[in-house]
Amino acid sequence: MAVNVLIVDDSGVMRSMIIKTMRLSGLQLGELHQAADGREGLETLRQHWIDLVIADINMPVMNGEEMIDHMRVHPEFKDIPIIVISTEGSKPRVERLQAKGTRFIHKPFTPEALRDAVKDLLGERVFHETAS
Amino acid sequence: MKQHLNRTITRIATETLQKLAFLFAFPDDGRTDEGPEPAVTGRVEFSGLFCGSMVVRIAASALPELAANMLGSADDAEIAGEAQQDAFKELTNVICGNVLPAIAGDQAEFLIGVPATLCATDAPSLIRRNTAECVVRLAFDEGFCDVHLFIEGKLPELKIED
Repeated sequence: MAVNVLIVDDSGVMRSMIIKTMRLSGLQLGELHQAADGREGLETLRQHWIDLVIADINMPVMNGEEMIDHMRVHPEFKDIPIIVISTEGSKPRVERLQAKGTRFIHKPFTPEALRDAVKDLLGERVFHETAS
Repeated sequence: MKQHLNRTITRIATETLQKLAFLFAFPDDGRTDEGPEPAVTGRVEFSGLFCGSMVVRIAASALPELAANMLGSADDAEIAGEAQQDAFKELTNVICGNVLPAIAGDQAEFLIGVPATLCATDAPSLIRRNTAECVVRLAFDEGFCDVHLFIEGKLPELKIED
């Protein structure tokens, strides 16, 4: 099963790192979409079918937490799995994000952390057999 | 407290350079100047339990390798200048994001701004004009990386993790 992924991060280099890590992890990637802030992310969600969102928190225009809040009250987006990859180290904020059903990965992240988070949310079936 | 602060920022900056960009840095305590030119300077502001900014200055010659390593590109691959700047801004962001909870505790919430690079003429005067709470000087094969922590007002008494 190929997964359509939306990566929301204001750093193009970080988006590239995440894409590379997903490819190396053996994730069966379908469509890959990118957005530089939360507002662009929501716009992309309106235009494309997305199975998984990977988002940063600190971004200009609309930050990741605001975007997640919008998603969680939207009838079509509320159940989309979300992984947050951020430098955020505040326990209250991390717990608040986890309470909204997201998985949290701390930057700098390891490929294993991303793979485990995807596996937790979407299961083994989204990985190529040789990589799992 | 300054010693704790110095040790903590040194640890986090070296770990970040290593984990994010495979650059193996070590403290360069003997150096007291700002490091040789040319250099690139990045800055990120934060607010919360205390407010201030983190300024990171890195040898310009290290930027191509920093970006190439972060992107996992081949050694001889040419990385565009914009991507090099972007990689450096992300490095600045990650160092700052990891330093703040280490010095303020994980219960403190901070708003971290968008990192920006400073132009070559602004950077030295900004560093000279403000008195840094802490300056960490690191060296690695490709050059140097200095981290300056600026605090507005007085830093509250903190239990800093080493």
